[in-house]
Amino acid sequence: MSRFNKEDMQRRLLQRVLSIIIFIVCVHGEVYSKPFPEPYEDDWGMIDWEEESEDIYQLSGFLEMASGVRLSNDPIIGTDKTLSDLRLQVQFDYDLQASQFSFVSDAYFDGVLEQTRINIREATWEARLGFLGAWGNRFDAKVGQQVLTWGTGDNVFLNDLFPKDFQSFFAGREVEYLKSPSLSAKVSAYFDVFNLDVVLTPEFEPDVYINGDYFSFFLPTAATQVALGFDVTPPLRPQSPEYALRLYKSVGTSEYAGYFYSGFHKSPNSLTQDYRPTFSSLNVYGASFRTTLGNGIFNAEFAYYDSVDDKNGDNPLVPNGQARWLLGYEQEIVGNLEGSLQLYTESILDHQALIQNSLTPKFEPKQHRVWFTQRLRYKGMQQALVLNAFNFYSTTDKDGYLKVSAEYSPVDLWRLSGGLNIFYGKQPFTFWGQFEDASNFFVRFRYFY
Amino acid sequence: MKVYKIAIATTLLALVLNSVVYNADAAITQSVNVDEIVREAEKAAYYSGEDGIADARMLIIDAQGRKQMRQFTILRRDITDNGDQQMMVFFSRPSDVRDTVFRVEKHADLKKDDDRWLYMPALDLVKRISAGDKRTSFVGSHFFYEDVSGRTVSEDNFELIEENKKYYVLKGVPLDKSTVEFDYYSVTIDKKSFLPILINFYKESDDNYRRVEAVEIQDVQGFPTVVRSKVSDLKTGGYTLMEFRNIKYNVGLDDDVFSERSLRNPPRRWLD
Repeated sequence: MSRFNKEDMQRRLLQRVLSIIIFIVCVHGEVYSKPFPEPYEDDWGMIDWEEESEDIYQLSGFLEMASGVRLSNDPIIGTDKTLSDLRLQVQFDYDLQASQFSFVSDAYFDGVLEQTRINIREATWEARLGFLGAWGNRFDAKVGQQVLTWGTGDNVFLNDLFPKDFQSFFAGREVEYLKSPSLSAKVSAYFDVFNLDVVLTPEFEPDVYINGDYFSFFLPTAATQVALGFDVTPPLRPQSPEYALRLYKSVGTSEYAGYFYSGFHKSPNSLTQDYRPTFSSLNVYGASFRTTLGNGIFNAEFAYYDSVDDKNGDNPLVPNGQARWLLGYEQEIVGNLEGSLQLYTESILDHQALIQNSLTPKFEPKQHRVWFTQRLRYKGMQQALVLNAFNFYSTTDKDGYLKVSAEYSPVDLWRLSGGLNIFYGKQPFTFWGQFEDASNFFVRFRYFY
Repeated sequence: MKVYKIAIATTLLALVLNSVVYNADAAITQSVNVDEIVREAEKAAYYSGEDGIADARMLIIDAQGRKQMRQFTILRRDITDNGDQQMMVFFSRPSDVRDTVFRVEKHADLKKDDDRWLYMPALDLVKRISAGDKRTSFVGSHFFYEDVSGRTVSEDNFELIEENKKYYVLKGVPLDKSTVEFDYYSVTIDKKSFLPILINFYKESDDNYRRVEAVEIQDVQGFPTVVRSKVSDLKTGGYTLMEFRNIKYNVGLDDDVFSERSLRNPPRRWLD
C-alpha cells in the first residue's frame, strides 16, 4: 500500500513537472510568435544577426512527444505501447579560443517503462592541439561522453563497434538515437600519408540491446519467445577498456580505411557456465573502400570478427567468429528521389563445430546469412517533407524489417513525424522473424527552442 | 594655335578610325565577345579573389507566408579561376541543423560530378552524397544548389539580345534540355562590375516562372560583391532572401581546411 502511494506521488510530481514544462513552452511559443510580424515586415531586417555571432555560448534544444503502438498483440508483453516519450533536450556549447565544450542531454519520461531518465548524449571538450606547438597542429582530441560513428554501411555495421541503441531504432525514435553515446577519448592525427583515429573507452559500453523491456525476443535455450527485461551488470558485464582504431586516406575521389577493434561482443550473446548471459571478448579487423561510380557512390567493407574466447568455434556458450562483407551503391534516381542497395553477408566461421556442439542446433543460424537492403528517400515540398523507406530482407532467413517514415517540417520551430516498423519472417527464431510482434506504428512531434 | 588644330584633327581622325575598326570588329566577332562576357560574369559572381569567407543568412518564405531561417558560414577556395573550387558550409541555424557541415569539391569539367559530403553531428556521421540534380532546393530554400555553386557556363549557348550603356542582356539556352526544368533564361549583366544582376527563367512560350535578383552590391576589397539577393518562385509567390556579411577575400585558406577533419572538427580559426 505504501509503495502504491509512493508511486502515486511520484506520478503526480511528474505530472506537475511536465505541466510546468508545457506551460513554459507555450509561453515561450507565444513570446516567440508575437514579434514575428514586426521585424519581418522589412524582410531584410533579419533579427539579431550581430548579437548572435558574438556570443561565446549557445543554448538550444527541443521538446518532443513521441508515441507508438503495436500493430498486433504480443502475448508475452502485456502492453500495446511501444513508445511513449516526453523528452526535453538541452544543448549547450561554450567556445573557448581554440577549443569547445559541448553538452547535449535528454531528460525524458519513458511511458513504456514508467521511468524518468537522463541520457547525456554529449559532454565533451574538443580541441585542435596546435597549442602544444607546431607538431600539435596535426592532432585533434575529443574527450568525454560522445556519439561515435565510422564505416561505410547504411544501417548496417561491420567495423563500427560503437554502441547502438536497437530499442530506440525498433521503437521509432528519431534515427540519431540508433547511436548511443560512450564515455571515450578520441585522438585524431592527420599526416600526409594517412590519417588516424584512436578511440579509448575506459569502461566497456555495450549496445542497448533488445532485452524484453519493450520487445520480446526468441530465447533458443528455452525454445520460446521471452520478455525477461534483463540487465547484465558487472561482473558479468566487463568493466575493462575498449580500443578502436581507424586508419584512413583519400586518394582523388576514393576513400580507403583500415579498422581495428579490441573489446567485447556488444550484446550479451554469451553464457556463463551456469547459463547466465554475459559478454565475451572480441577483436575485429577490417577495411573499407568508398568511391564515386557512375552517377552514384559505391562502397565495400569487410570485417573479420575474432571471437577470442571461442577460437575453434566449438564452445557452445560463446558465439563463433564471423566474416562480414558489404557491397553498396547509392544514387539519385530522379531529382529529389534517392535510392540505395546494399548486399550484406555474415558468414559464421567453424559453422560445423558450432552445430556439432550447440545446445540448440536447430535454432542456430545458417552458415551464411545474406541481407539485401533497399532505401528510397524522397524530398518534397521544397524539403519540408521527407519520405523514407528502408527495407532489410534476408534471402537466407526469409525474414526482414521494413522501416517507413514521413517527416514534415514547414517551419523552423517544429517537426511532425510518423511511420511504421514492420518485422516479418517465416520462422519465429530467425534474426528479424522473432520480432514480428514488435511491429509498430509511431508518431513524434518535436518543438525546437 | 596651329599645333592645337593639328592636335584636334589627329584626335578626331583617331576617334573615327577607332570606331570604324571597332564596329568592324564587333560585326565579325560578336560571338567571341559574348563568350568573354559570360566568362567575366562567371568570374565576378563566383571566383572573386583566390578564396573567400562569408557569413550567410537565408530567409525562406513559402507560398503561405511561413518563414524559415538558415544561417551558415561559407569558406571557398579556387583551384583555378573559372575552374575547380573547394567549399565548406558550416550551419549554425536553425538549431535542428546546427553544426551540420557540407563539403563540396566542385569540378568544372562537365563529365566529372561534384564530390559532396555531409556531416551530421547527432550521429557523428560523415555521409557521402551522390551527385544529384543540381536544380533542386539548396537546404530547403528557393535557391538551387546550382545558384549557390554556379552553373557551368559551358552547359548553355549564349547570345546577346540587348545592350545599352549599363547592361548586357544575354539569352542562355541549355545544350541538354533534359537536365533542366527551364527552356531558356535571360541574364542581365552589369557592364561595370560584370555581375549578373537579374536572371529570369522561362518555360515554353515565354512563361517566366522563376527569378534571381541581385538586390544590393557592395565593394569588398575591390571586388564588387552581391551582398543581398533574392530568388522568387513566380508561380507560387514563395521567395528566399539571402544576405552575406563579414565577407573577406584572399584570407589564405589552404587545402587542409577542405577536408574530413574540418567536417568533424571545424577550423575555428576561420569561423570566429
